[in-house]
Amino acid sequence: MTDRVVIRGRGVVKGRAEGEALVADATLSFWGEVDPVTGKVIAVGHPLEGESLRGKVLVIRSTKGSSGTPMILNLAKLEGNAPAAFVNVEVDSLAALGCIVNGIPMITDLDRNPFEWIHTGDLVDVDADAGLVRIQMRRETQADSAAPPRK
Amino acid sequence: MQLTGDQRAILDGARGSYLATCMRWLVEWGEAMGARRLIPCDNTHAILAAPNLMARGATPATLEAFAAGLRQASSQKTAAGCYCTIHTAFVTLDEVDVAQNDATEVRLQREVAAMAADAGFIPTFTCAPYLVGNVPLKGEICAWTESSAVVYANSILGARTTRHGSESAIAASLLGLVPEFGVLLDENRRGTLLVEVSATLETTTDWGALGYFAGRIAGLGIPVFHGVRRPTQDEAKQLCAALATSGGVTMCHIAGVTPEAPTLEAAFHGDVPQEPVAFTGRTLEATYASLRNHTGDEIDSVILGCPHASIREIAGIAALLKGKRVADGVRLWIDTARITKGGADAMGYTRTIEDAGGRILCDTCPTNMRIPARRIVTHGFKQAHYARGMVGAEVIVAATQACVRAAVAGRWMGD
Repeated sequence: MTDRVVIRGRGVVKGRAEGEALVADATLSFWGEVDPVTGKVIAVGHPLEGESLRGKVLVIRSTKGSSGTPMILNLAKLEGNAPAAFVNVEVDSLAALGCIVNGIPMITDLDRNPFEWIHTGDLVDVDADAGLVRIQMRRETQADSAAPPRK
Repeated sequence: MQLTGDQRAILDGARGSYLATCMRWLVEWGEAMGARRLIPCDNTHAILAAPNLMARGATPATLEAFAAGLRQASSQKTAAGCYCTIHTAFVTLDEVDVAQNDATEVRLQREVAAMAADAGFIPTFTCAPYLVGNVPLKGEICAWTESSAVVYANSILGARTTRHGSESAIAASLLGLVPEFGVLLDENRRGTLLVEVSATLETTTDWGALGYFAGRIAGLGIPVFHGVRRPTQDEAKQLCAALATSGGVTMCHIAGVTPEAPTLEAAFHGDVPQEPVAFTGRTLEATYASLRNHTGDEIDSVILGCPHASIREIAGIAALLKGKRVADGVRLWIDTARITKGGADAMGYTRTIEDAGGRILCDTCPTNMRIPARRIVTHGFKQAHYARGMVGAEVIVAATQACVRAAVAGRWMGD
């Protein structure tokens, strides 16, 4: 097992959730860039284009763009496609509202750069009540114990 | 957050469970964003939109659950004295022969429109409320959805609104309150990024390019533009829409134009950054190039009115189309508010546009409806940015004149 890394931050929207991390040092609008029916990022040229948000811990700089973000997050939730938690460097009021209304924990003001410490595929526990992000298992570790290994 | 006795009572259910939920949304949102209190709000622009998801395979249960929320919101009464307008729908209430205008969802939207009107909302269904009478005054506390309109209200009108989403704007409409955070407070309206503009901005769409460039750098910050002339209303609309597309901008300053920024120093509250970001002629060209991903010149779609067209824009487009004919196989749609189309009908512009083979689309836009297209020419950076993913189209962003020329030719003819 790799060492468990813990990042400290501030819980913006309380709650606790675990999921696979989806990481990009980028911004994202839910209306226009996420399809609630498929749960996938549809923004052309976006680093997460084609990735599903379903059940993921979304590690991004912040949301941006459309005020439709809470509505699309709500529709994604109803379709079972919402992210499990948000880990954001900056807080856009629209992501905060969407998380409050849909019961999705959100954390910010992190004491380590999440883009250096968290990688897509890591299993992450977001405890917004305690203000902690725990990296439970590295992607490589999962690949070792399961099969096949990643290239 | 400190609540008054009345606010606490609403939170505890004194005015029913729905208003208690609305109060909870505002309080929790305020606490998340660092607000200390709720303050009165006189003006809202709310989303009450039926989603157009059925044609794309959403479960009926999703639509039912969402519809229940819409009915609940629109069966209340808006707060006394609060001016409440409604954002775009995802369908048009007019007859239009496309599968995406799903009959069930149109029926739901009509029902919600009628209920909302009884509740005190004006069902404008537009992304540009400031073009159809909702023009807040300097300092007016608003709760607006539509990211482009939020930037316009703060930056051009000097009104004050944070970026609202569906639930917060509904809550503000019904309770007449908003949590006080962000740009509602003087100290959070200070510029964070200086953009020195040396490019010559000639067309309305050039202002969209400036916004698209600056929004990406500004992120959630407040860009300040220096070196530009005063934009027209339509130019300001493009600038604000593009800023909130590439970025999460709530407001910008145009030194000498923004009501509270007569000077550059005022825009930065005295502390002007030493190192500006430059927007040169070359930057302008590169920004256009970033939203031209076409692999050929034949087009099937021309979309004007993003954000929704003003009557002045419609008059201009009608003049360009007079005596001309849109090429076969090309859909030319001009998106606008129903109120504006009423004026265009009365003044003959609609007739001219329809005679040429174009159409004025009310309440929404083709991208919001998610009508598939192969190759779109549009004057809106916002439209071009989102259309790539939302309708899978190749896009060409260009000035209105070049868009109309392409519509008539059936192919992209260049700027």
